[in-house]
Amino acid sequence: MAELLGYAGKVLRVDLTRKETTVSKLERDMAADFLGGRGFNSKRLYDEVKSGTDPLGPENRLMFSSGPLVGTMFPTACRFNVSAKSPLTGILGDSNAGGHFAAELKFAGYDQVIFQGSSKDPVYILINDSAVEFKDASHLRGKDVYETDEAIKADLGDRRVQAAIVGPAAENGVRYAGIYANLMRAAARTGMGTVMASKGVKALVVRGTGSIDVADPARFERLVRDIEEEIYGHEQYWPRRRMGTTRILMMANAGGFLPTRHYTSGIFEYAKEVSGERLAEEYNVKTRGCFACTIPCSRFYVVKHGEFAGLSAEGPEYEALGSLTSRVGNRDLNVALKANDMCNRLGLDALTTAECISWAMELYEKGLLERSEADGLDLSWGNGNTILTLIEKIARREGFGDILADGSRAAARKLNKGMDLTMQVKGLDIIMADPRGLKGFGLGYAVASRGGDHLRSEPFIELSDDPKRGEEMFGVPEATLRLAYRGKGKLVSYFEDWCAVIDALEPCKNIMQNMEILTFDRAAEVVEAVTGLKMSAEEVRRAGERIVNIERAYNVREGMSRSDDTLPRRFREESLSEGPSRGTRFEQEPMLDEYYAERGWNRDTGIPTRESLERIDLGYVADELARLGRI
Amino acid sequence: MICSFGHEGKFSTHLSRITVIKEDKHGLDYPVLCHQCDVCPPISVCPADALKRNELGVINVNKDACTGCGSCVSTCMFHALKLDKSSKPFTCDLCRGKPICVERCPTKALTYEESETAMSRPEDAFAELLKRWNISG
Repeated sequence: MAELLGYAGKVLRVDLTRKETTVSKLERDMAADFLGGRGFNSKRLYDEVKSGTDPLGPENRLMFSSGPLVGTMFPTACRFNVSAKSPLTGILGDSNAGGHFAAELKFAGYDQVIFQGSSKDPVYILINDSAVEFKDASHLRGKDVYETDEAIKADLGDRRVQAAIVGPAAENGVRYAGIYANLMRAAARTGMGTVMASKGVKALVVRGTGSIDVADPARFERLVRDIEEEIYGHEQYWPRRRMGTTRILMMANAGGFLPTRHYTSGIFEYAKEVSGERLAEEYNVKTRGCFACTIPCSRFYVVKHGEFAGLSAEGPEYEALGSLTSRVGNRDLNVALKANDMCNRLGLDALTTAECISWAMELYEKGLLERSEADGLDLSWGNGNTILTLIEKIARREGFGDILADGSRAAARKLNKGMDLTMQVKGLDIIMADPRGLKGFGLGYAVASRGGDHLRSEPFIELSDDPKRGEEMFGVPEATLRLAYRGKGKLVSYFEDWCAVIDALEPCKNIMQNMEILTFDRAAEVVEAVTGLKMSAEEVRRAGERIVNIERAYNVREGMSRSDDTLPRRFREESLSEGPSRGTRFEQEPMLDEYYAERGWNRDTGIPTRESLERIDLGYVADELARLGRI
Repeated sequence: MICSFGHEGKFSTHLSRITVIKEDKHGLDYPVLCHQCDVCPPISVCPADALKRNELGVINVNKDACTGCGSCVSTCMFHALKLDKSSKPFTCDLCRGKPICVERCPTKALTYEESETAMSRPEDAFAELLKRWNISG
């Protein structure tokens, strides 16, 4: 059998308790069945982290994986996935980030790094090609992400290392702390940084001088040239280069689904003042790209006036921008940039942070929370001082910040109020698109394997509101109408499989999926040219299905079922009162029925059936779920 | 990436003759590559006479003569030479006058020109910038 190319070929296991490392060969079946990235991590998480594991205990495992395209010149192939059982949600956790870290890890020779156990003394792990060292990190304790990056580079006398770092929020046990590469490339969601810190690891630092071979260089180059041409000729090229994802803010506002004041409205009257357009005109000074990127959409900005003059950084992306403006009712762009910069330095997920703050603000505005319960803070919508103060307090777990540091669901339990106002699914807060105005997105949040999140399916095609697309792709015109319900089960399962494939191969989803470039057909061609694995488009999609199903099985084993696939009460019972999405609620049950049928899962329980698992070669998963009495 | 792919058929930042140094905090990216300096310390310091200029003025490495001592790497003022796995140096050879990086640069940000036309005196370049940015004085 021909050698597997494209991959680095090795898996590194780091036992932090014993301070030992082992290297194994990447198994061929693993590559063929799960492709890479999120696929590798989810499969191993299912196999190695049993139900009931304490997310912050030594039995949890934290895994970094890149994909087979990373390290080549395939456009945008730069990303890594980091997974563990989540301390925020108690179910499968993972997060994904770009930058230059993943390519360096490939050049050092590893497709996946697995952390297990935990170290008593603070350490950082240094991978220098085949040499792996446990380095003392006691001098880095409490340092923020920027300070840590600088200190490590100074220690090593090398500015070319790539470092994935956790900040003080993670060290203080905030349950939604992220992992940061290139200072602000954040794998922020579901508390992966918290898990890393619980293992005593401050940073994973990599220097790699190796190389990646592809199976069919000539064919690969042709594919790359074609894809580059398509990207440069795409109508979204310049808007994305100019504004990145921040261009979405005005689009969402125009559609009436921009979450405003904690989803009490879908329209923010000050949207223009905090828009991507304003950033592009008044703040941005250049664009930067991730590794191998042909559409550099990361904007470097400088604040030129006011209290925060001189503040400069990359970003923010739409989710952070919207979260720190409309979601919390803040119209001051400078405050939002400062808040995002603080989140990056302290190592906090800006989205969950903003959910916690906006949830508290809503309680306060409704008279359900007294000033005295919140350290005397004025929690009126958009109060800039309060927002910045709370970010600091959350990261340090001080006073009211300590209440919010475990997420809004946990805060509602602690205060014994406001649970039905928490905007989360399975403990993960919902992103910046109101599901009442985007029914397919909403279904995606309900069933997503890491909780209320869009990146598991992101059926962007719904935004086209073009019934022809629905007819073409699914034989159901309504599938691509954003306010319709029919066909959404087909839409979401198709897009979930597609997202899983992209997350496994690890190029950029914004480009490869949202710009409709890396279709299943083309992915099959690329996989063969890079790795030598012969796969049809159907087989590539099946790998995606396998990833979705094993994640579902992981969560089922943790006790999840249909009743957990639900959006917050507000979306189901209250309609939006203004704008193009007004007058509609979110009716989830018919969509769920259709979705489970599409997946071949049990309609009443939402649990995969033996047949559905065996069809995609996951018989051993069916056996385990049967033993546990779940199927 | 195209540089290492063109020269070695492999993808590798280390094997690329162009290294882009990044300072994320300040948003800076700057390329490091051979400047074809008039006075080239690596050539003068090589104890085995293994570094020679060809007709393009480009440094050629005679790998048979090279002893792998690495002196060249430590004397290049731009850190533009690197060592391969066998400790032999490599650097930009302008692809025999047809640089693949220029050919494949999709945004045409890279061009290949005679230095007299491509480079101006620093004070002229600065004046040009001031003009472009509408800054007087």
